[in-house]
Amino acid sequence: MSSQPPALEMRGIRKSFAGNIVLEHVNLTARSGEALALVGENGAGKSTLMKILAGVHQPDDGEILLDGTVVKFARPADALAAGVAMIYQELSLAPHLTVAENIFLGREPLQSATFGLINQRDLNARAQKLLDEYGFKLDPKMRVGRLSAADRQLVEITRAASSHTGDSRRVIVMDEPTSSLTDREVEELFRLIRDLKKRGMAIIYISHRLEELPEIADQLTILRDGHAVYNGRWGEIGTDEMIRHMAGRALKEIFPPRKAQIGDVKLRVTDLSRPPKFQHVSFNARAGEVVGIAGLAGAGRTELVEAIFGATPADSGQVEINSEPFTAIHPNASVKRGLSLLTEDRKRTGLCLNLPLSTNVTLANVGALVQGGRLQRKVELNATTNYIQKLSIRPPSPGKAVGRLSGGNQQKSLLARWLFAESRVFLLDEPTRGVDVAARAEIYREINELAEAGAAVVMVSSDLPELLGMADRILVMRRGRLVAELNARQTTQEEVLKHAALEE
Amino acid sequence: MSDWLKRFLPFLSLIALCAIIPLAEYFILGHDSKFLTAGNLAAIARQTAVITIMAMGMTMVMVSGGIDLSVGSIVGLSSVVGAMAMASGTPVLGGFLICLAVGAACGWLNGAAVNLLKIPAFIVTLGGMGIYRGLGLYICDGNAVVGLPQSAGYLAEKTFLGFIPLPLLIVIAIALIVHFVLSQTQLGRYCYAMGSNLEAARYAGIRVSRYQIMYYAILGALSGLAGAIETSRTVTGQPNGGEGYELNVIAAVVIGGGSLSGGQGTVVGTIIGSLIMGVLANGGNLLQISPFIQKIVIGAVIVLAVTFDEFQRRRVESTEA
Ligand SMILES: Nc1ncnc2c1ncn2[C@@H]1O[C@H](COP(=O)(O)OP(=O)(O)OP(=O)(O)O)[C@@H](O)[C@H]1O
Ligand SMILES: [Mg+2]
Repeated sequence: MSSQPPALEMRGIRKSFAGNIVLEHVNLTARSGEALALVGENGAGKSTLMKILAGVHQPDDGEILLDGTVVKFARPADALAAGVAMIYQELSLAPHLTVAENIFLGREPLQSATFGLINQRDLNARAQKLLDEYGFKLDPKMRVGRLSAADRQLVEITRAASSHTGDSRRVIVMDEPTSSLTDREVEELFRLIRDLKKRGMAIIYISHRLEELPEIADQLTILRDGHAVYNGRWGEIGTDEMIRHMAGRALKEIFPPRKAQIGDVKLRVTDLSRPPKFQHVSFNARAGEVVGIAGLAGAGRTELVEAIFGATPADSGQVEINSEPFTAIHPNASVKRGLSLLTEDRKRTGLCLNLPLSTNVTLANVGALVQGGRLQRKVELNATTNYIQKLSIRPPSPGKAVGRLSGGNQQKSLLARWLFAESRVFLLDEPTRGVDVAARAEIYREINELAEAGAAVVMVSSDLPELLGMADRILVMRRGRLVAELNARQTTQEEVLKHAALEE
Repeated sequence: MSDWLKRFLPFLSLIALCAIIPLAEYFILGHDSKFLTAGNLAAIARQTAVITIMAMGMTMVMVSGGIDLSVGSIVGLSSVVGAMAMASGTPVLGGFLICLAVGAACGWLNGAAVNLLKIPAFIVTLGGMGIYRGLGLYICDGNAVVGLPQSAGYLAEKTFLGFIPLPLLIVIAIALIVHFVLSQTQLGRYCYAMGSNLEAARYAGIRVSRYQIMYYAILGALSGLAGAIETSRTVTGQPNGGEGYELNVIAAVVIGGGSLSGGQGTVVGTIIGSLIMGVLANGGNLLQISPFIQKIVIGAVIVLAVTFDEFQRRRVESTEA
């Protein structure tokens, strides 16, 4: 190492929320031209640490140095001006604006600086150029509110990555940028990251998908319970030791075995269509079975499960539950029939962020709490505590506003809601999005229990190892059509990908 | 710390007001407090009763993420219709029930329109405000409806133990019911869920439109009840009754910690909000402060309350995981 100071240094960072210590004396160093992988369990404090760097939170103690000089960020704008850009874990785009408008929000190319006139054509053209350069297939004129979670993530990435002008940008933080991306987009992202590294940027990269880290990481920092328990060069320790540092214990197996009896058809979908999103989709799911749905982003998987659930009804086709025809026109009818959908976008369609964890867990089955016209708080509390233990939701406080839990714990709360709703057919759209390795194993165990108890599970996932490890059958969607059905025991990632990406 | 402040600020303000006014009476006007007499307190209760009743319903609607600007007009319309019925021989009790029914129907219409037209509630009920007011004026040709039996005054004038006005008892009963509903029932639970995240509530299997319409209908019925009390107070049907009430009602909810963006608000808070406004007006009169200045003060209080609410909300949002 030369005498040149690192691009970013955080020293002795301490932070507490309402008396709870979340970060304690954390040190972190990121060098220009390198990527620092930041890992840790859900709630370890990764996002909080990065939000301090981005000026969203103020540290109680400690200092931040950019190129060796101490800086203080009172607000996000200060951090941006100093060259720190961040992709937040929970998406933060303006839904009513277009892709191009979001990418250039706050730095629009102006036609006339005096009048603040925006040159729309120039804006779109520049956005298109960036998207092409990064290899993202998006229409700059599309309104962001209509994009899938994955596409929105691509917009966020484009916005952060393109926000550097000359050498004014030094650090880019990516908080779980791949949590809803499929392998192909992840590859594009990695290409982009390597390019940014070459241009001398320091990247901080947070992810729970440990298997993708070797591709880009140069340094590794592990957080546990708000402490930096490991700082070192990438590759000095193996995955097992990494997990042990994260969880404080070794993990036996990620995909626990399942002993489910496969029974009658619980869900039958026939010729379901809502062009152009998906067309002529037919499949079934039996009791005790886990059916995986794979595909690239935009293949129509989310739209398909939303249609089965009745959130946005299909144009034509039939759905049968327990061999009885069922027309989903409103989620209410579906929930009553024992059908549930764990949505992909927990912030928009999932959680009531400012309401307590307990309210969120019981929301789909409030009727079960009512006795004599009254909500029984004790029943609610017991149920919530039960799921807190089962899914190890941290912190274990039923009264805490769910928006104040870490991302992975929010995801577990949402899963708990559908477990409490006592559904028999589960549609799970990216069920482990943002969940750490150890907790993921718990969710898999929970899914197995459901199947063993005779439920049918349909699991949409962009995480191929997860599909291969969990599903009995894997259906592959491409451009709105089901193009393959594979036996999960016998297939490989390559084969799934081949079907998903053919003819492109 | 600030959560604590958020919860108790309205209450502390009310206590402070109730302490400052008698002191001011003593030191500025040089006489003993008129403010803290049973008669005056009963007067405050009577003056704020109508607003508080409506504010109970408004709390529900606003917690669920909606708003209703037409409530003042509903007071006028229900008063006119109820009074016309009484003037043409319907028994007094029947007339009051008609007021309630008219109000509930108007509220139901508001809720249905918000859901069917998919237009913001603010706009729909702004239209409703004009429509209901115009309708009331039209059917009585703009004149107060007279010729009601003397017994129509019962609802507003009856007192218990010599000084507890009947409307106060009605307020207490309704407050207890709405508090129970909001904190203990499914209807109330869905109210908070919808106001916090409407889409999430829908995905959780809640019939959001049905519930929304219900909240508006309840608010409408309570506005109709307010119309009945106004009719009883003047023993006439007043087509211009309730004019401007919507602002006081919304202000009561907001001062009491209710959020304009939904998901937050309590019955206790709203009652305190309503009392703060009532005490401000009453104290202002006792201290011989110009009513014009009083308006300025109340306006400032509303802005402060909303500023505080927004400030709180931004803090919560900036800390989401
Ligand atoms: N605004 C807040 N108020 C109170 N507690 C908070 C707040 N924000 C975060 N926390 C708490 O701080 C801890 C760390 O949260 P953080 O979001 O940093 O975790 P994380 O490492 O990013 O987890 P994940 O992998 O699940 O995203 C959690 O226990 C969380 O509940
Ligand atoms: Mg996080």
